[in-house]
Parts: sequence; structure tokens; C-alpha cells
Amino acid sequence: MDLFELLNFYVIPGIVLGSIYALGAVGITLIFAILRYAHLAHGDLATLGAFIALAVVTTLGVSPLAALPVAIIATAAVAVGIDKVFYDHLRERPKIVTVMASLGIALMIRAVVQVVWGVDTETYSRGIVRPENYFGLRIRDREIYTVIAMLALVGVLHVFLTQSKWGKAMRAMSDNPNLALLSGIDNRKVIVLTWVIAGGLCAASGFFLGLNTELKSMMGWHMLLPMFAAAILGGVGRVEGAVLGGLIVGIAEELSVLVIPSEYKAAMAFAILLFMLLVRPTGLLKGKVL
Amino acid sequence: MKTKLLTLAAGLMTATALATVPAKADVKIGLIGGVSGPIAAMAPAMIDAAQLAVQQVNEQGGIGDGEKLVGVVGDSACNPQGGTDAATKAVNIEGVAGIVGPHCSGAVLAAAGSVTIPAGVTLVTPSGTSPEITNLEDNDSVFRTVPSDDYQGRALARTLKDMGYGKVAVAYLNNDYGTGLANAFKTEYVDALGGEITQFAAHEEGKASYRSNLAELAKGGADTLVIFDYGDGTGLTILRQALENGFFEKFVGGDGMKSDAVINELGAENLANFVSSSPVGEKSDSLDIFNEAFKGVGGDPDAIFANTSYDAAFLLALALEKTGGRKEGVGAALREVSNGEGEAIRPGEWQKAKELIAAGTAIDYKGAAGDHNFDAKGDVPGTFALFEVGADGFEVVSEMN
Repeated sequence: MDLFELLNFYVIPGIVLGSIYALGAVGITLIFAILRYAHLAHGDLATLGAFIALAVVTTLGVSPLAALPVAIIATAAVAVGIDKVFYDHLRERPKIVTVMASLGIALMIRAVVQVVWGVDTETYSRGIVRPENYFGLRIRDREIYTVIAMLALVGVLHVFLTQSKWGKAMRAMSDNPNLALLSGIDNRKVIVLTWVIAGGLCAASGFFLGLNTELKSMMGWHMLLPMFAAAILGGVGRVEGAVLGGLIVGIAEELSVLVIPSEYKAAMAFAILLFMLLVRPTGLLKGKVL
Repeated sequence: MKTKLLTLAAGLMTATALATVPAKADVKIGLIGGVSGPIAAMAPAMIDAAQLAVQQVNEQGGIGDGEKLVGVVGDSACNPQGGTDAATKAVNIEGVAGIVGPHCSGAVLAAAGSVTIPAGVTLVTPSGTSPEITNLEDNDSVFRTVPSDDYQGRALARTLKDMGYGKVAVAYLNNDYGTGLANAFKTEYVDALGGEITQFAAHEEGKASYRSNLAELAKGGADTLVIFDYGDGTGLTILRQALENGFFEKFVGGDGMKSDAVINELGAENLANFVSSSPVGEKSDSLDIFNEAFKGVGGDPDAIFANTSYDAAFLLALALEKTGGRKEGVGAALREVSNGEGEAIRPGEWQKAKELIAAGTAIDYKGAAGDHNFDAKGDVPGTFALFEVGADGFEVVSEMN
């Protein structure tokens, strides 16, 4: 196998897949760090975002990329709404209650998607797109958009978290919620902000998965395990860790086919998750241990 | 006070419960299918065809003394968990006397093994094609109106060989359907016909990228990829990524890939080198009768498994007429109404069948998809055809044998 084959069919798909995982993993890692529970509805929230973008594309006839901002805003609003209606009431209860509730939310979101958009497989645009050839590297436009959009969104988020007042408040609450409250940080606003960011990134993740493959009502659910693996691999609470984790999981899944039978590809994320929890539970970039 | 209210409520509930048991109970059958999941595009026509049989039964006198036959639709999501859940609900809550479905092999095996066989409810699947279903220890309670993939895989192998296909690579979904079909194909293509399979690999459902799988499959220099998967699910993703990246020149699918979703999403212009096999009804008067009737209710008679679904529901209704609407003895009754001996009954001839059963005359159902003379394992033989993508959807290339 020559180098170009390795890059074209294993590494590049891995990077694209990893970028999609990373977008979801950032949201998971933020919720994990600030609200301190595993949000199992994350995958289905991504499905919802992807289908909202589909609705915009089909009703307005705009290009899929133009539909992305609408999907991000709408999904962020839905995420905040879900928190207000469901999770808010469980805030003082043991966290496992909220985790189980989020599983219920996942089923509810999926059911809504199935009722509204049906159960058939959909795509943003019909037909197939053959890749362009860049000096031997075969890359599609949409793959470039995916990686650039991931880097841009995460870059903006990183600047927001490190420079702005509210970003610092979020990090403070992640470190110690009680101390943050005593210092005059409004925990409720931080929670809303967390959901806006997580919901928006979730929509982007689902959108790019749909753009690169197809839209199915189970698409997000199947991404949940790799996204969790990415968040824990990178270190809980570390945004740049989630990106790194996402890329590693994505590339590892694609490369795994070279050494293990292809039916075990899906187990790769699980193996990484298990290995990290056993060997280095803080993740690569020293995150929290929950 | 509280106890009084509770007693009152309990009393009222008992009263209503008694009141809702009518003199003539409806006879319920479960119509369990892959409404969501990887065969979602196929399921509606299959359910509609089964409902057509139910409608005809009710229009022509119902079951027994005019009791209504009711089809209760359930979603198996085309996977074992979904199949078990839907069958449990149908058996324990709806109290069905028999089940048409589930549609997918994995769901059939799980639902039969954990729900219907223990409960003694008979199940007739119109599309569960895995060879594994043949070997179930089912006390004569699992039947199918669709031929086993053991036949389809072998027929497809022979047809490809005849058409001059050379080296092929096989990608199959890692479930009961994909594995069964792939192994039957492999046995015939390699062992019996001396063909060459360069790569033979399973894949998991629901991943976003299969390009690395495809790169592995392409090693060995085959120009044809045989995909045993579902055209609404992973099969579509694999076919898309193979076309986009120029892996393989020709593509072959099993019945699961003969889905309109493939044409809708990829475009017919890109599918010139794609063929898929599928069970077809043998040309017969019965098939014509069914096709007309199904068109009459707005259905597409060429939809895959529509005729087997209709036959499954009609056969189950005939068996229930024999048992008087009870689930006991449905298996034996199914064999009696379709064993090749007796007065021929064609699709839609419910009234005639009902009169003959009442008179004690032997009947023999000649179904739309075939005669359905079940063998000892509850299987039926079948005919297959190879389809290509033409201007108006799937068109027959050749009969397969």
C-alpha cells in the first residue's frame, strides 16, 4: 500500500469523521465539567439539528451551508428549552437521575424527528459528488468545509472561554460551583450559556455527519459512544482535549480496519474508552475525574 | 374517605372492564414490521398489502360468525430488540392470535425465540429470509411466505457466473440477514462454481465512513462488489462511498438493496452498473388478481415483499377461520389450508374459502407469491429475478434459477 492510498482512504476519512466527533465531544465535555453528568441525549440532539437544517434546505431551497446557522440557533434554543422543562427540576437530585432522564429525552427527540420527518433516509442534495484531486490527495469540498468549520467553531469557543467574562465564569463554575456562586457568578445564566454552546455544536456535528453521509433518525445515536470516548480521551472539561480526542478516535476507527476484521470497527471507540478509563482516567490533557 | 373512593374507582373499573368484553370478540393479528430503521422505505407497502387482506376478510364476512379481523401494527425497527419489544406488546397486551412479520431476519429470530414460541403464537414472516429461521425449534409455529436466502444466495451466485462476472468482493452486514445470505452466496460461488471471492468481510451498521472498509475490499483486484445489506441503511452509505471514490466498477445487491431509497438518493444516472436480486411472484392468475386488488387500494404491486405480505396475512386469516379465531392449532391449520390438496382459493376469495371451510371441504390457497406448500420446516421454495435500475425504477433483467 502506498502513502497516498493510506492518506486517501484511511487518514482523510478519519480526520473528517474525527472532526464530526469532536464537535459533539466538545459539548459533552462542557456539560460533563459544568453540570457534572453524562448527557445521553447528545446524539439525538445532533440528529435534530441535522433535520432542522434539512427543513431549511427543502423549504427555502438554500444551500446546506446557509442552513447551518439556522440549525445551530434552533437546536441551541431546543437544548435550553429541554434543560428548563426537564433537567432543571432534577438539579438537586442525585446526578444519575438526570443521566437516566437524558436517556428518556433522547428517545423523545428521536420520536419527534421520526414523526415530523418520517423514517426514510434523506440527503441534503441528491446524487453523488466525486472528490477533487489535490496533488494526489482526493478530497471533497464538503470534507474541507467540515474540518474548517470545526476548527473555526472550536477556535471561537476557546477564545470565548479564555478571554470573555462569561467564559471565565463558566470555567470558574466548572472548577467549583459553590465558590463561583459565592464570588457572585449567576449559576443559572452559566447553565443556559452551556446549553446554548452544547446545543449549537451538537447541531453542527449532526449537520456535517448528514452532509458527508445521509440523514437517518438513528444517525446521532450511533455517534454517541465515539463522542463520549473522544471527550474522555481528551480529558473531561478540556475543549482542546475533546478536539484531539475526536480526531484520534476518528482516525483510529478508520485505521483499525487494517489490523482487525472490519466488523469490529465499531468496537474501536469502546476499546479506547475502556483503555483510557483504566490507564489514565484524567485523559490526555489532564481533565477532571468524575 | 380515600378507601371508599378507591373502592368506588375499582368497582367502576371492573364494571367497565366487564362491559367492554363484547359478545363477539374481534380477532387480532399483529402486523409487525421494520417501520423505522434500515428498511423503512420498504415497510409501508408491506404493511398496506397485509392490511388489504384484512380488509377483504372483513368485507366478505369476517372470521367465524362475522367477527372482525383487526391488524395491529407494531414497529420492530428491523433489529432483535425492537422485534422482541413489538412481539411482546402484540402477544401480552394486544392478545393477538397470530403475527404477520417481523420483517427482518434478526427480529424474527429474536421475537420467535423469546416471545412467540414460548407463548404458542404462530408467526408468519413475509420477508425474514435468513437460513437460520429454518432451523428454529419452533413447535411448528414459525412459517414464512418468502424463500430462504439459502436459495437466493445460490441463485444469485449462479446468475452472476452465467452473466460472466469474474472476481468479486463481498461486503455483508453483520447480522442474521447479511451473514446468512453472504454464506449461501459464498458456498455456491466458490465451492460449487469455482468462482473467486477476493475479499469477504462483514461490517457494522451505522458508521459514518466505510472508505477504509472499501479500500480493504478493493485489495485483490475484484471489479465487482457484492453488497448484502439494506438499501435504506448502511448499504446506501457503502454504495455511495464506493461510487464517489471509484472503488469497483460493478455492484450487485441482494433483496435488501432493492430499495427505492438507493435510486432516490444516488440518482438512477449513477446506478447503470448496479443490479440486485429479489424474490418475485411466479407469473400466475393469483398474482394478477392480487396486483389488480392492490392497485385498487392505491398500492404499488411491484413493491418488494408486497405479495408475500399479503399472502402471509391471508393465510393466517384462513388458519384462524379454521381454529375459530383461537391461537391454538394455527400452525396445523396453516398446513391444512395450503398443502396442495383441495379446492383452489385465490387471493381475495375469502367468502368462498369461508363457505368451504364451514362445509368441511379441504381448501388449498394459491397465493400471489406462490403456492406456499410449506415444507416440514415451514419454508417455501421460490423464484427470483435480477433487477437493474431503469428510467422508471427497478426493471427485470433476467429470471434467476
